[in-house]
Parts: sequence; C-alpha cells; structure tokens
Amino acid sequence: MDLNALKDAVINGDLKGCTILTEVAIQAGHPPEKIMNEALVPGMDVVGEKFRCNEVYVPEVLVAARAMKKSLAMLKPLLIQTGAKPVGVAVAGTVKGDLHDIGKNLVCMMWEGAGFEVVDLGVDVSPDKFVQGVKDTGAQIVGISTLLTTTMLNMRGVIQALERAQLREKVKVLVGGAPVTQTFATEIGADGYGESAAVAVEKAKELLGIA
Amino acid sequence: MTHRQRVLTTLKRQPPDRVPVDLGGTLASTINIHAYRRLMAHLGFGGEPPIAYLSRRSNSVLPDERLLAHLDVDCRAVILDNPDVNPERALPDGSLVDEWGITWRHLGEGQHFINADGPFYDREPDLALVEKFAWPDPLDPGRIRTLRGQAETHRARTDAAIILVLGVGVVHQIQFMRGYAAALEDLIAAPDFLQAFMERYVDFWIRLTERALQEVGDLVDVAMFGDDLGTQQGPVMSPALYRRLIKPVHVRMAQTVKRFRKPLLLHSCGSVAAFIPDLIEAGFDALHPVQVSAKDMDSASLKRQFGRDITFWGGIDTQHVLPRGTRQDVREEVRRRIGDLGPGGGYVLGAVHNIQAEVPVENILAMFEAAREFGGS
Repeated sequence: MDLNALKDAVINGDLKGCTILTEVAIQAGHPPEKIMNEALVPGMDVVGEKFRCNEVYVPEVLVAARAMKKSLAMLKPLLIQTGAKPVGVAVAGTVKGDLHDIGKNLVCMMWEGAGFEVVDLGVDVSPDKFVQGVKDTGAQIVGISTLLTTTMLNMRGVIQALERAQLREKVKVLVGGAPVTQTFATEIGADGYGESAAVAVEKAKELLGIA
Repeated sequence: MTHRQRVLTTLKRQPPDRVPVDLGGTLASTINIHAYRRLMAHLGFGGEPPIAYLSRRSNSVLPDERLLAHLDVDCRAVILDNPDVNPERALPDGSLVDEWGITWRHLGEGQHFINADGPFYDREPDLALVEKFAWPDPLDPGRIRTLRGQAETHRARTDAAIILVLGVGVVHQIQFMRGYAAALEDLIAAPDFLQAFMERYVDFWIRLTERALQEVGDLVDVAMFGDDLGTQQGPVMSPALYRRLIKPVHVRMAQTVKRFRKPLLLHSCGSVAAFIPDLIEAGFDALHPVQVSAKDMDSASLKRQFGRDITFWGGIDTQHVLPRGTRQDVREEVRRRIGDLGPGGGYVLGAVHNIQAEVPVENILAMFEAAREFGGS
C-alpha cells in the first residue's frame, strides 16, 4: 500500500481519510515508524511549507493538524510497543499571566507533526511549572509563547528559573508570539525565535542538529 | 473646522485643517483603566475620576471630558448598554458571563478579559446548535436606554464627531461562542454550520443596529464595529475564503448602516492588507487600527495602494513604540505616520488599539503633542 494517499489526507485535512488510511496502513503491515515518517511527517512538512508561503492559512493548518493527530493517536500505542524514539522532546506553554493559546497550540501540533514528543503545559504557566515540565520529561526544547506586550517580559523569568534549576545548559529555549521579535529573544537570552509555527519547527530541528 | 468637520472631511479623503485624533472614540481606541488613572493624576485632574467603562472586558474606560478637551480629541463614543435580560454578570472567581453564555476570564489585575468558554465550545458543529440556541432579543430596551442621553451630552458639551459603537461582528462572535481554533476549523470543515450561525447572528445585529440608529441617527456621525481578520504574520484566513463566506455578511452589515447614511469604520487587527480591496468593496469607509507592526502593514505602502478609497484610523504602534519607546521615539512614530497617511486627508491618528496599562504617561502625552505639532495648524 502506498503511503502517499495518507500523506495527501493529512495535507488536505481529511479526518475520515486519515482514520481509514491509517487503519489500512497498519493492517497492511507497515511499521508505525514508517507510517509516521513517510506519511504524517512529510504531510505536515508540506502543510508547514504552504503556510509559510501563504498558500494556506491558519484554518487549513488546524484542520490538517487535527487529521494528523487522529492518525498519530492510532499509531501511538504501536510506537510505544516498538520502542520508537521521537526526534526530540519538547515542552511548551503560554507564559504566566496570559491565556492565549492558539499560537502555542499551532506550534505544538507542528512539532508533533515533525516527529517530536510534545508536552503541552497549557496557558498561564509559571516559571516553576516550566522547570518541572523539563524535569519530568527530559525535554531538550522549551517553547514559550505570549500574545501580550504586558506578559512578554515574563519570558525572561522562565529562562532565569531554568538557570536557577541548572537546566539552562540542557535545553534550548524558543520564544514566539505576536509582540516577540528576534531582538527581544536575543535580549532575554533565548536560543531562538520563530515568527510563525512553521518557522518554530525549523528552528527546533536546527537547534537540535536534526537535518 | 470643528472637530466633527475635521473627522468627516478626512473620512471623505479630503484634506482637513489638521489631522484629527482619537482617544476613547471606539471600542478599541481608548485607554486601559490603570494608564488612565495615572494620566489623570499626572495632569492634575484631581481626585478619583468617576470610572465609566467603555468595555469592562477590556478594562478600558470612556475618558473623562476634561481629559478629552485637554488633549483636543476629535471623537466621542456612544455605546450600547447591557440588556435588561441576562446582563453581563460577575462570577465568584472574577470572570464575567454575558448574555450569550460566553465566559470571560480575567487575565489579572489591570488586564483585560479573554473568552474562556462559550455555548458552542467542544460541541459538534451541528445546525441544531444554531436552531436550538436561545437567541437574545435584539430589541431588549436596556441596550439603547442611555444611548440618546449619551449622544445629547456629547452634542451639548462638544463639537466632536460622535461615533456609535455597534455590536461585534460575525467573525468575533462565533470565535467567542465557540473558541478561536474551533471557529477557524469550521471555516474549512463545517462551513454550513458557520453560515447558519452567521445568518442568525447578522439578523440579530441588523435589528439592533437599526434600532440604535433610529434612536440616535440624527446625533451620531460615524458607526463602527470590529471583526478581526489578521494575525501578526498575515491574514487569518485566505482572502478567497473571506470573499466566499464572510464578505457577503459584511456587505449586509455595511448596507444596514448605509441606509442611515453614516460612514462605517471597521476595526480589524493584525495584517489585513490582503483584505482591503474587499473591505472597500463591501462598503467600509475607514479601517482601524492599521497595526503597523504586523506583516505587510507598512503605512506608506497602504496609503499608496488604498488611500484613495479608504480612510486609515489608528497607526501609532502599541506593540513596541508606545510601551517601550522613548518620548523621542513616539514623536518620530507620530511624524512618520502623519507623513505616510496624512497627505490629502484620509487619516485619523490614534494608538493601534487601546493604550495598555504599561504605557508611560509621558509617551501618551508625547503622542498627542506630536500629533498637534506635525498634524497641521
């Protein structure tokens, strides 16, 4: 069975198609890792690329990610059985004082679609919760999001908390959100800035040295 | 020119005597309560001013007339009130619940509220949801009870342009009732549900708008509502999708206001340049807030491309310059935007969105001083 059909179903955000084709692929004996790497990941890659080029917009990305997540949920138990390793582990959250989550959710979905294991810490996340998240998961990537000019300074607090917990050297910190800029990211000592969810995937891979 | 003439002239893209300025004229061009208190104290308008919220949810006020007169502001807002049935109420945790069943959670002291739950959250996008929903009464008398009084007070005290702040637009309303992500997914995955919702909501909106304009049409100069279509990086949906699903609804809304011969201002945050040709066609006379820090929102380029057909309203950066810039940065920002957007008329100057709590008083004052200095005689 050709995995291209599943890849296309991801790209088109075809939830039903993804459900059926994932089942078919599993039944056909494709290893879950292969389904992941040859259908879901390249599918989301195409979506990310189209998003960056303004060929598709947030609604299409959300619908594609939902379809991808459905497939992923079906593969998860099998991936655990085979002991497949994610390309990396990331924790992400919206910073303390802010409840906006759509940007953060997009980044989480895009990271998952790129083969990362993602632990979403939610919204209004305190520096301590970020630290705990890193401790609990052994994450190599920390993603911090905010929409508000009033809360963006709290991102620095997360980085300082990671320093105090002596975890700063073990993780790469990526920041993003409407008011955030590269200059600001550099100023607060983040390792990277992504102006969109598609860029966040690239940056995370780059920082971890994944091709 | 009177303040009103100045605004109406610029709305026709004709040169006013100087660039008109706005503070407190619309739902999204006023000031956070904390910044307001500091500003009032700084200017020596003694004592605690009585607080009139323009929007409790955004923690923003209708500025005191003394302040608006001092800053020589050209606009005044009149706003719809709570309905008698199901008025907005506070929950024990400080959240607000409105008549639509939308829960607004407080971000914390001094901050605004954001929608955290609503009647269509986590539901299948089924047409029955729309049909079975207990739609509020657009003609609930509470909504317009104080409207005429507000407008008459402005008329008696000032010659400013009076702006009628209408109910939120369809894009906002479905996002509030259903959640942002789900509402965006519906654009692709459940357009029938979305259209059914919009039809019902726009019926509500039109009946309320007609009622409000019957009440104060003879006193107000401009009408406005908000429907966000942009993100920091680009349009929130494809312009093609906007044209197919949303624009027909916007056309109906604009036509309602046009029947009363009022210019219509649309508030739409973020990068919305890609929609402007359609917004002009739909019947909007002016666009707020011109979020210059978003992608493709360079003020010079916008003026060049669309300045003949639409008036720009806002334009002074609130993401970087106002909160973190120096007085000199603010002056430069004002000079630049007036240079870009002002020539020939078609510009009302103001902050991009409400002035937030952390904006220094000096920067607020610098904005209005510079507007006078660079905006013409």
